[in-house]
Amino acid sequence: MERQEIVNKMNSIFCDVFDDDSIKISDNMTSSDIEEWDSLNQITLVVNIEKIFDLKLNLVEIGKLENTGEMIELISRKINP
Amino acid sequence: MTQEKQIIKLKSIKKEIQKGHFTDAFQDLVTLSEQEHDFTLQSRYASLFNSIPSEKLKLKDLRLALLATSTVDHFIDILKFWLAKQGFRVEIFSSPFNTISQTVLNPKSDLYGFAPEFVWIFNNYRDVKLSVPFGASPRECDAAVDIIIKEFVELWDVIRKQSSCHILQNNIDLPNSRIFGNLEGSVGWSQTSLLRKFNLSLALSSRPGVTIFDMDYLSSLFGKNDWHDARYWHYSKHAFSFDASGLVASQAASLIAAGKVGAKKCLILDLDNTLWGGVIGDDGLNGIQLGHGAEGEAFLEFQKYLLALKKRGILLSICSKNEENIASDVFLNHPDMLIQLDDIAVFKANWKNKPDNIRDIAAALNIGLDSIVFIDDNPFERQLVRKILPEVTVVDLPEDPTSFIGAIERGSFFESLAFSNEDSNRNQFYKENTIRSEHQKQFVNLNEFLIDLEMESEVGQVNEQNLSRFTQLINKSNQFHLTTTRYTEAQVRSMINDKMTILRYFCLIDRFGNNGLISALIIKLQPEIFYVDTWVMSCRVFSRGMEEFICSEIISMAKLEKSNFIIGKYIPSKKNKIVSSLYERLGFKLAKTEAGGTTYWELNMKEPLPKFSHTIKRSESKNLSPEN
Repeated sequence: MERQEIVNKMNSIFCDVFDDDSIKISDNMTSSDIEEWDSLNQITLVVNIEKIFDLKLNLVEIGKLENTGEMIELISRKINP
Repeated sequence: MTQEKQIIKLKSIKKEIQKGHFTDAFQDLVTLSEQEHDFTLQSRYASLFNSIPSEKLKLKDLRLALLATSTVDHFIDILKFWLAKQGFRVEIFSSPFNTISQTVLNPKSDLYGFAPEFVWIFNNYRDVKLSVPFGASPRECDAAVDIIIKEFVELWDVIRKQSSCHILQNNIDLPNSRIFGNLEGSVGWSQTSLLRKFNLSLALSSRPGVTIFDMDYLSSLFGKNDWHDARYWHYSKHAFSFDASGLVASQAASLIAAGKVGAKKCLILDLDNTLWGGVIGDDGLNGIQLGHGAEGEAFLEFQKYLLALKKRGILLSICSKNEENIASDVFLNHPDMLIQLDDIAVFKANWKNKPDNIRDIAAALNIGLDSIVFIDDNPFERQLVRKILPEVTVVDLPEDPTSFIGAIERGSFFESLAFSNEDSNRNQFYKENTIRSEHQKQFVNLNEFLIDLEMESEVGQVNEQNLSRFTQLINKSNQFHLTTTRYTEAQVRSMINDKMTILRYFCLIDRFGNNGLISALIIKLQPEIFYVDTWVMSCRVFSRGMEEFICSEIISMAKLEKSNFIIGKYIPSKKNKIVSSLYERLGFKLAKTEAGGTTYWELNMKEPLPKFSHTIKRSESKNLSPEN
């Protein structure tokens, strides 16, 4: 899967989870950029990512990520080993 | 529905909500959502539901306290939605994570200030720490289980002393790991056996005001390997799979609804293709499927299931479009019929519309429409009942009779918080108290519903493609069959090119799909006379305006032929009473009555012709040329 395709899918996951179609994700985006991005929505995000990309994530690894860009890198590594 | 279609539908629901069409949007959400849907969908249902101002929906208030030893925040939103599906606007109190004892034991805790109607103690297997030495004796195992059971019971008693709530107590969702492997199920002292014993003891210890919520059953139903996702336990203390949220929420909501508004009391059943395969009025006692063969066995199994429901106190009633004597004959004389007339609280077999019959049944039994579950194989009847009597629960019966039981089970209609002896005696009670109310007037206005059906009938000339279906319909129809004629396929084929015979078939399509070729007409042209030799129709589509539609068609054909009279004949048989007054209803005049009851009916084309109102759009088959 191309990186851009992953970004697009991620973007629509963000829009769904935060119920805001105007969200445009970027690599250096973090939880402080979206008001509703709390620990609960973090989990909803992860469950949605696992579902949409059909993969299982290591949740400890997820906790260490610095920003959205790193999350996209992680997904990319998982689906394009 | 695929996930993509679901998402599209969800977007349109979102638009409805933005436009302020809250009730419609909620109805769409109710229809769309299934308990099996995964977490991503469930959380979208929940968030759309959340965006509807709850005062805009007709919901009853409910107060529920959730005392959990795991993270339930995501689950709560989904539970709120499923309770709304059952008609409740729920306010939920949830105790801080893992503080059940403190919350319950402190008489000044917010729990009691909240005054819950239900308290749900939401444990998981990690809360029950049972261990005995390997090889321990049964007595040691009992003692170990008893100690923990006692803690649970004490907690219930404290709650019940301070509050008049009803308690739901999770039993233990057995884990999927086994230190001893299979041996765990083979000895009494293993973790698996101890937890099973615990669940059994919990059930035996339950008391008035306490209902065990069977999480172990749900985890098995869902699949334990998926149910237990260790990652989310360690990461965020979620005790069961996100994707099981819909299942748990829906089952709990059914149970709570049963406790709050009372359980369903009566199951109203259709007969043809519901209790047996085929149509008794057409196929006869030896023609219906019951008892033998895969289909017949499936119907038999379904009847066994219904009788088991009856035994636990669910009333069985019949609502069928049939002649009463023909329908009851199956109960009296079919050797494989399990359900007896005596098992039926109210028996309605007639040609009135079903909503009226259901109202009569409810009145006769003196029960509310909201305590009725309706089962019918015909989507038309189901939709009609849904529309006219929204309080009645309508089961979406699959076509395959082997799946009937599963469809009823999935609906969880007959949940209850407790069982009493009166429950099982209910049938007798109602039988004795049934009020016979005959000759009820019809008060349902069908017209609006029929317009919504978007019916379209194709009219066509018989050809090789439909010859065999056309002939089959004539030979197998007994009920809507005016002259009891029978023809072989060869005979009908020879009529195709006969200038003095007109053959017409009618198909019917509606919102629910294609009903196929449902009526056959054979006209014999005689000097000045347009004679209806044969007119059969499937009883499935009776009373929807099709009779009127076909009669208009007969009249226009007679005009084209320049006939002076249309003559119709009715030969009474054991099964065609339903059409004995058809011609009269259609405006024909009685011309002659023969010995044996055969009647002739005529319509004088020179006099003002009857006008019919129906809601069926006409379409013509391509083979219909003027000379046909």
